[in-house]
Amino acid sequence: MTCEIICVRDVTKHFGGLTAVNGINLEVQEGQIFSIIGPNGAGKTTLFNCISGFYAPEMGEVLFRGKSLRGRGTDAIAAAGIARTYQNIRLFSNLTALENVMVGFHHRSSEGWVDAVLHTRRFVREERAAVNESLKWLRFVGLHGTANTAAGSLPYGAQRRLEIARSLASDPRVLLLDEPTAGMNPQETLEMISLIRRLREDFNITVILIEHDMHVVMGISDRVAVLDFGEKIAEGRPAEIQANERVIEAYLGAGGAALARKYRERKAQHA
Amino acid sequence: MNVPLAQKSPPRFGRVQTVLRPLLGAALGLFLFYRLYNVIIVQHEYGPETWTRLLIAGLIIGSVYALIAIGYTLVYGILFMINFAHGEVMMFGAYSTLFVFEAFKAIKVGSDPVLTFSNAYPVLAILIAFVVGMSVSALIGYLLERIAYRPLRKAPRLVPLISAIGASIFLQNAAQLLFSPQLRDVTNPEVLARGSGWSLMVNGSKVILPYTGVFTFVLSLILLAGLYLMVQKTKLGRAMRAVALDKKTAALMGIDVDRTISLTFFISGALAGAAGVMWGIHNGLVYYFVGFIPGIKAFTAAVLGGIGNLPGAMLGGLFLGVIESVGPAALGLDFQLKDVIAFALLIIVLIFRPSGLLGERLAEEKL
Amino acid sequence: MKTLLRKSFANGAVFGAIHIFLVLIGFNTLIGTLLARLTGVKFSGDIPPAGALIVYTALLALLGGWAAARKSKSGSLEKNLAAGAAAGLASGVFALLLSLALGWLLTHKVDFRQYLAYLSFDFIRVTLYQLAPLPGALSALGLFLFGGALGGLLRGLRGVNVVQRFSALLRRVWGKLAEKVNLVLHGRYRLALRVLLFALLAAAVVLLPLKWGSYWNYVTGTVGLYVILGLGLNLIVGLSGQLVLGYIAFFAIGAYTMALLNSPIPHNIMLGFWPAVALGVILAALAGLLLGLPLMRLRGDYLAIVTLGFGEIIRILLKSDMLTDLTGGPRGIQNISGPRLFGVDFNSDIHFTYLILAAALLAGFVYHRLERSRAGRAWLAIREDETVARATGVNTTRYKLLALALGAAFAGLAGAIYASRNQFTGPDEHSLMASINVLSLIIVGGMGNIPGTVLGAFALKGLPEILREFANYRLLTFGALLVLMMLSRPEGLIPTHRPKYPLPSPDQQQKGREEVNDDL
Repeated sequence: MTCEIICVRDVTKHFGGLTAVNGINLEVQEGQIFSIIGPNGAGKTTLFNCISGFYAPEMGEVLFRGKSLRGRGTDAIAAAGIARTYQNIRLFSNLTALENVMVGFHHRSSEGWVDAVLHTRRFVREERAAVNESLKWLRFVGLHGTANTAAGSLPYGAQRRLEIARSLASDPRVLLLDEPTAGMNPQETLEMISLIRRLREDFNITVILIEHDMHVVMGISDRVAVLDFGEKIAEGRPAEIQANERVIEAYLGAGGAALARKYRERKAQHA
Repeated sequence: MNVPLAQKSPPRFGRVQTVLRPLLGAALGLFLFYRLYNVIIVQHEYGPETWTRLLIAGLIIGSVYALIAIGYTLVYGILFMINFAHGEVMMFGAYSTLFVFEAFKAIKVGSDPVLTFSNAYPVLAILIAFVVGMSVSALIGYLLERIAYRPLRKAPRLVPLISAIGASIFLQNAAQLLFSPQLRDVTNPEVLARGSGWSLMVNGSKVILPYTGVFTFVLSLILLAGLYLMVQKTKLGRAMRAVALDKKTAALMGIDVDRTISLTFFISGALAGAAGVMWGIHNGLVYYFVGFIPGIKAFTAAVLGGIGNLPGAMLGGLFLGVIESVGPAALGLDFQLKDVIAFALLIIVLIFRPSGLLGERLAEEKL
Repeated sequence: MKTLLRKSFANGAVFGAIHIFLVLIGFNTLIGTLLARLTGVKFSGDIPPAGALIVYTALLALLGGWAAARKSKSGSLEKNLAAGAAAGLASGVFALLLSLALGWLLTHKVDFRQYLAYLSFDFIRVTLYQLAPLPGALSALGLFLFGGALGGLLRGLRGVNVVQRFSALLRRVWGKLAEKVNLVLHGRYRLALRVLLFALLAAAVVLLPLKWGSYWNYVTGTVGLYVILGLGLNLIVGLSGQLVLGYIAFFAIGAYTMALLNSPIPHNIMLGFWPAVALGVILAALAGLLLGLPLMRLRGDYLAIVTLGFGEIIRILLKSDMLTDLTGGPRGIQNISGPRLFGVDFNSDIHFTYLILAAALLAGFVYHRLERSRAGRAWLAIREDETVARATGVNTTRYKLLALALGAAFAGLAGAIYASRNQFTGPDEHSLMASINVLSLIIVGGMGNIPGTVLGAFALKGLPEILREFANYRLLTFGALLVLMMLSRPEGLIPTHRPKYPLPSPDQQQKGREEVNDDL
């Protein structure tokens, strides 16, 4: 089995008696937009935490460009090229928006404290690069006007986009987005969709997405995986997922699934 | 388009740390073994009687530490703050003992010119000392929370800590101004006269098991057991545990969070007060600084045991008391250095068990 | 009205309790003494005239009445008056009871000083306004009632039309004035003004030490050293968010390095000042690194207690008899020689003032540069959210250690200069209280910024030197102020602002916006 960009192999994670993630296998191709969906508590965020190194899975491993991430710290994983955002926004709220993004740029520059004290040429060059690059990402997410505003005082939608800008500044090959449109109005959601599309089109970034909004999921995903009670119950193209019995059952329960089947059959008869 | 400016290098410090810890452990183990071997086998300076004496002293002071440490742990468990002024709460308990016993010393009973109230009704006198000391300290603990901590509950973590430090300085100096800076001696009722006790014969020489010490130790254990039962079995205890886990949810379940927190401070204040009274009875020296060192030691004990963990605080207190009492002799060091041993123990324990002896393991980063 | 009165009674009772506390710690005679001295009234001994105490009581009652009226939040004059009077009555009853008790002690000749230190007979007499117990107690009640009512009245007058208009006018004038000042400060002459201000300040800094006596130079030097300490601790606590409680240990390392290398006893090495300073700084930084290395996994509060323990270990070791031959033991080290620069021996406080000012400037410079760098941002990110900082690619362990080592180096510098200036250092100078002082100064001043640190250092180390009168009450007031400060202004006197980066010009921004819009 080749592993082009990111693979999850048999990952299992327990919390006490609860199995949050149970033997999950995923394979994401470079440049894909890959969605993970599932009811609340299905283990989606836990899976993200296993990929980005917050949790060490008890079994299985995550491969990035063919190399295992086992035992690597979250900082090393970020530096290797996997960036993420958080379900409940986690910005450095007392820093300005620009500084938040510049923290994302951190591991791409090398100036030390001595450079900073002496203002060496390296310091000047790298600071300028950091500011320019960060401003570029701010502009990309549409926040260039608020660069000097404290992150905590930005409106909600802007904070979500700022989080994305911060993760982009670390030059990721893979971006994990945890419910990027949660709490957004339709207009903001549309903007977010186009932003995610551009990530792939302009920068060839692979996006893995946790999302509850089915319009978003079905609209932009190349592939969708469905988790339920920590297990993967389905994976495929959006259209396949929409028709999948087990998925409907997971979302609507057995009765709901039967109802949906009946509805579909009747629709087919009419046609 | 995104040209990395620097070569990505793997983090080095992580690796240094993983090598460092076992190395440090080995070095420490060798040192301890060497010193212990030297002192106990080679030099053989102290006989079993000395060890017994040290152990007794350690257990007694340890039980006082445990009582104070419980207060730190209770408050930390609920508010995640170090109640820095807790030692001062204990100090007021010690002062209460002083004043109660002074008053009872002044009251004469019957026609006998020498018989004082303390000696005529010693049980009552001691009981009243405990009631007064525990109430005063509980009240101070309660007021402390109301005035200095409650408005800061949502503030960043450093803010209540500084407030607590301020309260600690304030209380210390208030006591100094009120009661003068001099050291005072507590006069116990004669049944609990300091220095007298049961004599044990160990290795042919006499070891005194002081009445005050046994009293302190036994009473501490009773109070600790009572508290443990209260937290595990009563409605209030359940409320406290619920608030400690999650204030918001607890409030949704109909628990009055403010009241629970107030009561926590009240109870931990009362326990510190009891510790203060015992300090007054057993140690006998009372002055405005008396709470400071035991306070810090007790906090150390709470951290040793794993802060937020009740049995941990009790065990930590006893452990710390014994180690700092036996340690200097066992390692052949000056007795002046007992505090060094106590704090070094803390550092060493935390290096190898970052959340204390009984604390939960933090193997992974918490999200 | 009923609830208003009940609440005011309660407030008054609290105030009454405060009054009792203040009397028992002798605060009333202290203020009385100050009042008498200010108005030039002669008196003998340390007991002020009764009149001063009457004024004190009235003022306190006024304050109580005002506070109670303010808390009642009522608009009308009568309600304010009633609230003030009710509060005054309640605290008056407390005062009455206290006075009666004190009177009892006086008439029965009971010397209570061994229990409550201030209650000498002279003190009791003047607290009773030199009257007999009952009249004294009644006048206390009367004073509180009168003062409280007056306080309520004054507060109520704010609602009266004339007063309102007057205060509105004042506010307007003040607003205009502030606006003008702002305009001048940030307007066209901003640069010139700043240069002028800076030049004036520099001139003052250069010239003042020459004018001052050695006492003021000593005070300035102490403040300067605490500025260095404050900046160092700010690197650790303010920027990287690690709570370190035993910070003075690093100061001690610097001081003892200087002392041991430049004193005839115990080692007579006499290495000279400059190498010793460098060594002190390096050793302190190393100590920070070594302490931090195994402890980086600890949660914040654990680090606090461990560093506290470390500070105590250093102090006790320095003090112990075991190490007397090595460190001078409890008596410390004397006759530390000073530096020599350009053929000048540093032996007066003036020299050291300049040296300390230079060192403080250096520390401020380094701090300023670090604050606005990659490292500074990494530290702030760690302070804000360590988990996320790490997951964003910051090697948190490394940066936390860096902050610890650099902060310790600042302390080492301050310590070395301190020992050299005082020509002495001993273990008791490096107590936990000193650590707490440094921590408090950065918090009072405003965490994480230089002006705040300077202000804090002055407030904590300079003011007490000036307010010698309050010597006994210094720490009490300090403690109370810390609490009050946290309750009312936890961000410190001067809050920190993050640097603003110059952004591309507006038309460039406009272009950027269009680009984005096109894409959407």
